[in-house]
Amino acid sequence: MSAILDARTQAQRLLSESSPAAKLGGLAGVLLLGNAAVQEPGLFIDQAIGGLVYGMILVMISLGLALVLGLMGVVNFAHGALFMLGGYFTYAAMASYGIPFWAALLIAPVGVGVVGIVIEVVVLRRLYGKEPIIGLLATFGLTLMIEEAARFVWGASAVQPAKPAFLTGGTDLGVTQVGTYRLFTVAVATVSVAGVYYLITRTDFGLSVRAGVQDGEMTEFVGVNLPLRFTAMFFLGSAIAGLGGALRVVEFGIDPGAAEEFVLLAFVVVVIGGVGSIFGSVVAGLLVGWAQFLIPVVLSALAVITGVSAINVQGISDLIPFLVMIAVLLIRPRGLFGEEGLLE
Amino acid sequence: MTEETTQESVPRLPTRLERYRIPLGLLVLVLALRPVVSSDLLLGYNAIASKMLIMMLFVAGFNLLFGYTGLLSFGHAMFLGFGLYIPAIFVSNGPGLLPAGGGVTFLFGVALAVAGVAAYGYLLGRLIVGMGEIYFALLTLAFSQAIYFIVLRDPAGLTGGSNGLTQGTLPAFVEQTRGEIAIEAFGQSLDWYWAVALVFLVGMLALWQIVRSPFGRSLVAVSENEQLARAMGVNTTRYKIWSVTFSGIFSALAGVLLMIQSSGAAIENLSVFTSGDTVLMAVLGGVNYFFGPVVGAFSWLFVEDFLTGFELWQFPLSELTLVTVDLSDILVYWQFLLGALFVVVVLTAPEEGIWGYLSSVAEWLRTKLTEVIG
Repeated sequence: MSAILDARTQAQRLLSESSPAAKLGGLAGVLLLGNAAVQEPGLFIDQAIGGLVYGMILVMISLGLALVLGLMGVVNFAHGALFMLGGYFTYAAMASYGIPFWAALLIAPVGVGVVGIVIEVVVLRRLYGKEPIIGLLATFGLTLMIEEAARFVWGASAVQPAKPAFLTGGTDLGVTQVGTYRLFTVAVATVSVAGVYYLITRTDFGLSVRAGVQDGEMTEFVGVNLPLRFTAMFFLGSAIAGLGGALRVVEFGIDPGAAEEFVLLAFVVVVIGGVGSIFGSVVAGLLVGWAQFLIPVVLSALAVITGVSAINVQGISDLIPFLVMIAVLLIRPRGLFGEEGLLE
Repeated sequence: MTEETTQESVPRLPTRLERYRIPLGLLVLVLALRPVVSSDLLLGYNAIASKMLIMMLFVAGFNLLFGYTGLLSFGHAMFLGFGLYIPAIFVSNGPGLLPAGGGVTFLFGVALAVAGVAAYGYLLGRLIVGMGEIYFALLTLAFSQAIYFIVLRDPAGLTGGSNGLTQGTLPAFVEQTRGEIAIEAFGQSLDWYWAVALVFLVGMLALWQIVRSPFGRSLVAVSENEQLARAMGVNTTRYKIWSVTFSGIFSALAGVLLMIQSSGAAIENLSVFTSGDTVLMAVLGGVNYFFGPVVGAFSWLFVEDFLTGFELWQFPLSELTLVTVDLSDILVYWQFLLGALFVVVVLTAPEEGIWGYLSSVAEWLRTKLTEVIG
C-alpha cells in the first residue's frame, strides 16, 4: 500500500514538472498505443508480455546498479558480469550437477552474491569517496576478468539449460497464448523487486544504509557498522542481478557477451530513471522493455493507418533503448525521477 | 669571450633537445618501429608496424579527451567509424560525378568524414559535456552503440551490415600485391608503412601543438580543477566541446588509415569492445603523458600478436600437439591477467601507467648515477 502511495506522489511530481508539450507527447503516445492494440490485439498482448518479461529482467539488473550507484557512489561496470554469472551458475548447477531448477534458482543468486562480496571487499572498498570515473575503470577491468574466466570455463558460445517440465507449456490469456515460463519470470521478478524496494525504503536496515550515504561519520558514530551494511547491500544487488541472469538463461541462454550488453542496458535504464532514484529504475526498466517490444508494433500499425510504409522501420528494436535515453535526457537532463547533485 | 659563448651554448643544446623531445621521439619511433618489430627475435613480420602506428594515433586522439581534458569517452569507436566507413562508402559506390574507386572520390570521402566527425563531435559535445563525467562516459557509450546498430542494419545498403565493406573500398592509387600495400602517385611508389608514418607524424605533431598551445593548457586546467578554471574566466564547457571535436577528428583520421590497412571497413571496429580496448590501452600506457597512449597501443598490440603468433610460427611441427594446449591455456590466462593488471593500475596509480612507471624508473636511475658520479 505504501509503495503504491509512493508511486502516486512520484507520478504526480513527474506530471506537475512536465511541460504541456511533454503532456501532449504522452497523449499522442497513448493514442498510438491504442491504435496498435485495436488493430492487432493478439500481437499487441504478445509483445506487451514480451516487453514486460524483458523489462522486469532489466529492472532486476538495474536495481543493483542503481543501489550501488545511488547509495555508494560507485559506477559498477561489473554488474553486467554478475548478471551473466547468474546465468552461468544456473546452467552449471542444472546441466553439470543435475540440481533441480528450484534449487538452482536459489543457489545461483547466492553464489553471485558471494562473488559480489569478494568484489566489494577486495576492490570496491578502496573506491568509496574516490572519483566515480576510477570506479568505472576498475570495475571495467573486473568485467574483463569475469568474462574471460567465464569463457575459459564454459566456452565462448551460448549455453542453455533445459527448461523445467512444468513451465514449458503455454497459458491461454483469451486473445493469445503466452509461455508459462514468461509469466513465471514476471512473477518471480515482481516479488524480488518489491522485496528489495521494501527493504531499502521501509526498513531500519535500508534507513541506516541511506543515512550512511548521507553522512557516514555520523552514522557510524551512532553505532552502525557501515562497512558491513554496505557489503550486505552489495550482496543484495549482486544476488538480484544473479537471479535475473538465472531467470533469463533458461529461456534465452547466455554467452560471455551478455556482460557488456546488459550492463549497458542497465546504465541506460538507470540514466532514464534518474540516478539516485530506485523507483525511477523500476519505471525506466519497464519503460525500456515495453518500448523495445511495442514501438515496432506501433510503427507498423501507424504505417497501416496512414498508408506510409516508410514509417514501419525494420530492425529498430536494438536501437530503441538508446533513442529513449537520448530523448529523455534532452527533455529531463536528470532522468525521469533523478535527484539533484548526484554525479554532477 | 670565447669561453663565455661556449659556456652559454653548452647547456643550450640539451634544453633544445628537451624542448623538442616529443617531435624527436616521434621521429625515432617511426624510424625504429618497423625494424624492431619485424626482427626475427620479436614478431618476425612487418605488417603489424603500420597497424601499431594507426592505433597509436587513435589512442592518442582519445587521450586528448581523457588524459588532457578529463572526459572519459567509452564510445570512441564511433569516431573511428566515421573515418572507416565514409571514405569506404564513397570509394565503393562512386556517387554522382565522382567515379567509384577514384583517388578524388577517396579524398572527397576523407574530407567529408573529417567534416562529418567534426560536426558530429561538436553537436555531441554540446549535448552531453555539461552533464558530468560519468554521464559523459555512459552517453558516449550509448551513442556509440546506437551508431553500431544503425551500421549493422545496413541502411540503404550502404554499410554492408555485419559483413562490413570489403569490395572495392580502396582508391586506385593504393596498390595491393600479396598483402603488401603501396601508394602509387605521380609516378612514384611509396611503401604503405611510410605513408602511414607520414600521416602519423603530421597527426601527432598537430596533437602536440594542440596540447602545448594555450588551448591545450586550458584543457589541462579544466581537467585538473574545473571550478578554478571557471573562476579564472575559462569557459570550460566550450573547451570541452572543442576537445571532443578535435579528439574525434584525430580518431577519424586513424580510421581512414585503418580502412586502407585492412582494405575495407569491418563492423568489429565499431563495437563496444574496440571502445573498451581504447580505454585499456590509454590507461595501461599512462594517460598523463603524451607518449602514454603510444606505449599503451604498442604494448597491447605487441603482446597480443606475440602471444597469438607464438604457437603458429615459433614451434616446430613435431612438438605442436603438446605445446599448443599449454600455450592456449596461457593465452586465456593472459587476457584474464590483463584485466587484473588493469585493475591494479587503476587502483594504485590510474594516471601513470607503463610510461609513468618507466619514467619514474629512469628518474631513479639518474639520481643514482649522479650520486655515484658526483
